Amino acid sequence: MNADALVSDYLGRLEAASWPLPPERRTELAGEVREHIEAALSEAGSRDEVTVRNVLERLGRPEEIVAGEAGAAPNAPVVSVNVGPSMGRVGAVEIAAILLLTLGAFLLPLIGPVIGLVFVWLSSAWSTRVKVIVTAIVLAVVIIPILGLLAARTM
Amino acid sequence: MSVELVFLLIPMAGIIAAIILVAALVRRRR
Repeated sequence: MNADALVSDYLGRLEAASWPLPPERRTELAGEVREHIEAALSEAGSRDEVTVRNVLERLGRPEEIVAGEAGAAPNAPVVSVNVGPSMGRVGAVEIAAILLLTLGAFLLPLIGPVIGLVFVWLSSAWSTRVKVIVTAIVLAVVIIPILGLLAARTM
Repeated sequence: MSVELVFLLIPMAGIIAAIILVAALVRRRR
């Protein structure tokens, strides 16, 4: 196995082991480790198999790096990594948001969904992307017909 | 565009939004 193949094998193992980390941190970590390897190799002044193996050995197993990154003990399973503070957890805020967007839209046609959106943004169960999509859908449907009504009246 | 249509569209948007939110929650829990 040549030096580059050893490095890409190592980075592949690191990528596979880092699945519990958030995607942006995974990319960041892979970049950091790659940089570290390159720096160590240029410092050693050689890229032969033995040097590369030594550098990788000094870095430690990819699983250990990920475990260290996740704040766990080096040999602890990485599966217990917390992805976010309350991501995906359903509580009163989430239920209120969904009820206001559905039932609230019938009971309080304009105010209900708007309050629902406030609850959506207060919740940490949804990503910003989902919140933006949902807000755009509701606001588009609330604003466009109002503009249509106003346009019809001015004609 | 009639007022009735507006009041029909708003709950529909709310339901679509709720479906997206529930789907996001279910996907995260898996």
